[in-house]
Amino acid sequence: MPPKPRDKRGADEDSSAGQSLAPALSRQSRKFANLFAIPPPVKALFDYVPVLVYPPNELPRRAPKPAKIPSLYVFSNKEDAAAGRPSFNPSCLKWQAFLNIAGVKHRLVHSSNHASPTGALPFLLPAASASTSDTSQDTYPIPSNKLVKYAEDHGASVEESSNLRYEAYQALLDQRIRSAWLYTLYLEPLNFNAVAYPLYVSSASTNPLVRASISHQLRAAAEAELLKHSSIIDIDDLYSEADKAFEALSILLGEDTWFFGSEKPTLFDASIFAYTHLLLDDSMGWKEDKLSGALRRRENLAQHQERLLVRYFGG
Amino acid sequence: MILELHVWGPAFSLPSIDPHCLAAIAYLQQAVPRGKWVLVATSDPALSPTNELPALRNGDIWIGGFRNIFHYLAQFSSGEWVLDAGLPDQQGADCIAFSSFVESHGQPLIDLSLYVSSQNYTTITRPIYNTIQAFPLPYLTPPSIRATAKQRTAHLGLSSLDVDTENGEGRREPSIIPESLRKPKPTVSNLLAASPETNSQIRLSALATTLFEPLQKLKGKKRYLVSDTHFSSLDCLALGYLSLILVPDLPQPWLAQTMRSNFPDLAAWTEELGESIFGGPVDVSDALLSKGKADTKPIRTSEKGKGSLPWAAPYNGGIIGVGRVFLSSIGDSIPIVGQLRRNTRMRQHGGKTPGDELQTSSSWQTLTTVGSVISAVGLVLGYMFHQGVISLPSSEESEKQGSNTADLNAFGDAGAALSIYANRMDAETQRQRAIGQQLGHGAPVAEVDVDVDVKRDLVTITEK
Repeated sequence: MPPKPRDKRGADEDSSAGQSLAPALSRQSRKFANLFAIPPPVKALFDYVPVLVYPPNELPRRAPKPAKIPSLYVFSNKEDAAAGRPSFNPSCLKWQAFLNIAGVKHRLVHSSNHASPTGALPFLLPAASASTSDTSQDTYPIPSNKLVKYAEDHGASVEESSNLRYEAYQALLDQRIRSAWLYTLYLEPLNFNAVAYPLYVSSASTNPLVRASISHQLRAAAEAELLKHSSIIDIDDLYSEADKAFEALSILLGEDTWFFGSEKPTLFDASIFAYTHLLLDDSMGWKEDKLSGALRRRENLAQHQERLLVRYFGG
Repeated sequence: MILELHVWGPAFSLPSIDPHCLAAIAYLQQAVPRGKWVLVATSDPALSPTNELPALRNGDIWIGGFRNIFHYLAQFSSGEWVLDAGLPDQQGADCIAFSSFVESHGQPLIDLSLYVSSQNYTTITRPIYNTIQAFPLPYLTPPSIRATAKQRTAHLGLSSLDVDTENGEGRREPSIIPESLRKPKPTVSNLLAASPETNSQIRLSALATTLFEPLQKLKGKKRYLVSDTHFSSLDCLALGYLSLILVPDLPQPWLAQTMRSNFPDLAAWTEELGESIFGGPVDVSDALLSKGKADTKPIRTSEKGKGSLPWAAPYNGGIIGVGRVFLSSIGDSIPIVGQLRRNTRMRQHGGKTPGDELQTSSSWQTLTTVGSVISAVGLVLGYMFHQGVISLPSSEESEKQGSNTADLNAFGDAGAALSIYANRMDAETQRQRAIGQQLGHGAPVAEVDVDVDVKRDLVTITEK
């Protein structure tokens, strides 16, 4: 009996290998793999396992209870999170500003990447629903790319600009300004030691080995991200492109209150604010301020940041 | 002084295989007067300081990267050879924004269509490098370009286009998962899986549309993208990307098809502009000026007239030059060495003062030294244990247990499960023996226990 399934599998292989481009080679490697395969009788036994699947266990008592209002997990520290002050991470700040603009009530929880199911912050843990029947579906964390839909579902009116320039200027922000930001924060040694180290590294651990490893990881990740788009990190090019990008954004904004001449700030305003606020914020303590200097020269962008800060973060 | 523009060699009847090189060619063709520059199909990125092509050479000065070239040209001609000079504010801003947009949305498309898609890569793209590079280099360049392309497109989740990696894993995986936990097989998509391109057709064309639609809208009825009269740097860049999307004749033509069927205006514009800028189809022998044709060449250029490009024969330094490039690209592809080489490249170009560097790198250096010392000591200790120079007091017992489980390991997964039972049984017997001892049997028990637990025997002996 035992040889039978193996024969069948062999026949299967032959027909499929015949279709592929390099039949001889793949057949060879698969034969080699068969040496390590589980013997058929053992596999047949294992196919019955698990005999019974229990429902998932309940959470332990000490697990945090779902709150009455949704919580947004961001990079921050305890006091700032409690006071609802802006996060120091651009992508967290973008969504924090978006939720504030959309009027979705939430509380901030200071956290790190390791807490997130997707491996990236921010994410939103929805409030516990009144009907406890379908809690499991309702309390799944919402990653940042689904936040717009969440805000729409919860009664906020989200205006999406249909302007043809929207995509292009978004690319300008995601490419040029983000690259310059990555360089100036992580790879510029002065700024890394003065700004990024206290925020991301020393807050995470007190162990010097862990700190060294985290800071090395951060810098390596930033470098890898920049090297994806060019074969070399050309610092002058990064800064001059960011300067041009701010110039273009400043022209786009012109005399308007919000971008694309809309009545209310949109997601685009929030994503601009995420960078402009952090670059203009004096408490960040930039040591090498080429990038923030380039931004300060564009007065209307600085005013735009001020306006958003006052209106949606209470000053 | 005649400027030399060094680029990747021609492909698909276009003057270069790289979108940035095409953009630079278009820019120089429009901005710099004829006779002031020549085009060299070097296909050797190691020439330029930023290790990328296009690179511009003016005597001893090398400028790498197309944006740097534009800046340098503006400086060099004191503001004369600039395309974007006369644009009004709003159009200038659009030009900057859309340049970044074309780059960030066009690059993944070209990566997917020319490099990641297995069929296109093996039948078309890889063979092209044989024609534009000297002998040993085509073994290294295309795979490394493909690896970067895969990295850049990894976040799109379209790696299924690359058939080579999928074949092996996909087949073995289901057999390990038990029947009761397996998902039912989607039969319809199995039928569609004849080609991975058809499988992800919807996502691919959606991805392509995000690039084409805003460009089409921006152009509208104008002659060029941002202005009706002004040929800008954005047009150069868009021309570079769009012609590499449109022109190649590939076995999996999803990208060109999407563009032709959904955005016919943009396709027509690209073809027309390409024709007038690049001056008709370019052949490899045109660019490399192969020796046999050298004497007929001057006649041909004059025949073609204004449209054709000012090609000059590449000089690659003979066997020594090719060997140097070969070795340096091998160096880049070795994991740790390549990383070090890249790091030094960034520092050299960054022009940082050595003092800055010392501070940050010294902490890292001490860390690596400490780490290597620890691991060396560990190795020596491990070796001594292995040779039996030092031994722990309870080494005999642990060895016995170790051999037990090692035997079970030979059974693979099942063995792992069984070894847990084995260990537990061992523990159980030990406990029972211990209980037996507590009950206070006499000397014979102590004799039995000798090989199990020497210490306890001593205790019982002293008790007696």
